[in-house]
Amino acid sequence: MRYALLALAFLVLNATAAELKPWTGGATPELALADLSGKQHRLSDYRGSVVLVNFWATWCEPCRAEMPSMDRLGKSLEGRPFQVLAVNMAEPLSRIQRFKEEVPVSFPLLRDRNGSVGKAWRARFLPASYLIGRDGRIRYVAYGELDWTSAEVRARVNELLSEGPDAPRRAERDAPPPAQKAHGVRAARSSAADRRPDRA
Amino acid sequence: MNRRTFLQSSAAVAVAQSLPWSARAAQDWRSFETVTRVEIADAFGVARAWLPLGLQEDTDWQRTLGHSWRGNAARARIYRDPKYGVAMLYAEWPETVFSPVLELTTRVMTRDRALDLSAPARASDLSAAERRFYTAPTELIPTDGIVRRTALDITRGAGNDVEKARAIYEWIVDHTFRDPNTRGCGVGDVRSLLESGNLGGKCADLNALYVGLARAVGVPARDVYGIRVAPSQYGYKSLGAGSPNITKAQHCRAEFFARGHGWIPVDPADVRKVVLEEPPGNLPLDDAKVAAARKRLFGSWEMNWVAYNMGHDLKLPHSSGPTLPYLMYVNAEAGGEMRDQLEPETLRYAISAREITG
Repeated sequence: MRYALLALAFLVLNATAAELKPWTGGATPELALADLSGKQHRLSDYRGSVVLVNFWATWCEPCRAEMPSMDRLGKSLEGRPFQVLAVNMAEPLSRIQRFKEEVPVSFPLLRDRNGSVGKAWRARFLPASYLIGRDGRIRYVAYGELDWTSAEVRARVNELLSEGPDAPRRAERDAPPPAQKAHGVRAARSSAADRRPDRA
Repeated sequence: MNRRTFLQSSAAVAVAQSLPWSARAAQDWRSFETVTRVEIADAFGVARAWLPLGLQEDTDWQRTLGHSWRGNAARARIYRDPKYGVAMLYAEWPETVFSPVLELTTRVMTRDRALDLSAPARASDLSAAERRFYTAPTELIPTDGIVRRTALDITRGAGNDVEKARAIYEWIVDHTFRDPNTRGCGVGDVRSLLESGNLGGKCADLNALYVGLARAVGVPARDVYGIRVAPSQYGYKSLGAGSPNITKAQHCRAEFFARGHGWIPVDPADVRKVVLEEPPGNLPLDDAKVAAARKRLFGSWEMNWVAYNMGHDLKLPHSSGPTLPYLMYVNAEAGGEMRDQLEPETLRYAISAREITG
């Protein structure tokens, strides 16, 4: 009986839904980091593209779980202005390389060696994912695992892709009010924590 | 940390135990992972849980690398108490979930603290508002009446804040004792401790007494609540986590502020722990191991421990329960009934820790 209960508990561990919410956190922080081969990537290099900036770590199970769906999303948008940048939080190169052998992905894995970039982005809870519009501004955020191939997520990405690179004002005007939960995009299988503090 | 790694680590520690508080490089950062798993058994009605998180602001002795969680909670978010900045993960389950489960993983880096009070004073001072804040009373730490009278007696003849803080430290070590029958880490009811004349307790009692006495004579001081995550590397069995299971390894410490030096770590309660628990047990104060710990724990902390927060008198968000004197344990409720935070078996929570190497 005890084992049955434990098994049941394990099964339900990943049942919580994360949400892709409109970003209300202000300006987009800088991001300039090297990938595993040493090549530098700056967020500004990708101006004109929709960018998914994902903060992750190998010890974070939801992070590992969502990586393949991020990769599928990226591959499905090949030829369109879309880029995934996955920022590892302060882990040794060898550990990240081992992870990449186990979970091969086609997007760059960047190294935030001391976690300072993650802190500037306020990515304390992992995974923390930020969808950047073609104008270079953060537009959506999700804390927790998402199915990045879900229809709801694709709709948000397509919405950003359809905007011209210099059309932030129109997008801002059309964006939902931040507090309206109904605009959050729910994923089928994920866990998430909202970074923004409520005052107790 | 699995059992083999833990034993290897313990064996390495044993090598360093030939001398009390044997020397070791204290500058290296160490990384730890803690996993807190909470199951609220037989939940009826809406269930809630509150898990303390590590310090949110980086210090030169602790940095949080990140958290992640999984489970079947409908909502989970970080709350911070507005007065002290106490951070907690709050999770909520609807009444349709009979077996709420939450697993929080945290990675944190720490490095030992050791301050030389004879070195030139260079740190900036507290503002007047900060000084008022850290000398103010809390619900269980008054700074008037018997607390102030006692503090004035103890610090008679002491000139500056460091001398006062030192006098209080020595008094705590000389006059209190660790009471193994105290529940959890104690409540920290300073007035009751002094009025009863029974100066027994655990860390939340003895270090709260330190903080109250210091504040009562105008020395800024604060409790720092946290949890031990690894064995001591200085040869003290009593001052470390005894196994990778740290479910009951909560421990609070204290700091006082010295002009020019900043926050100074102290831990008189751990001196009394060494007295009671360091093998063979019930050591006299003049035992070499006790004397070394007593000297060391005024001005330094071994960071085989992770700090959670420095808060008092906390009302948990959405909770039906009473104000807590501090947040150092997992708390949970179901159907409006708080579960006993000091009984991990009934609440079913477990905390494990391992050191990350390589």
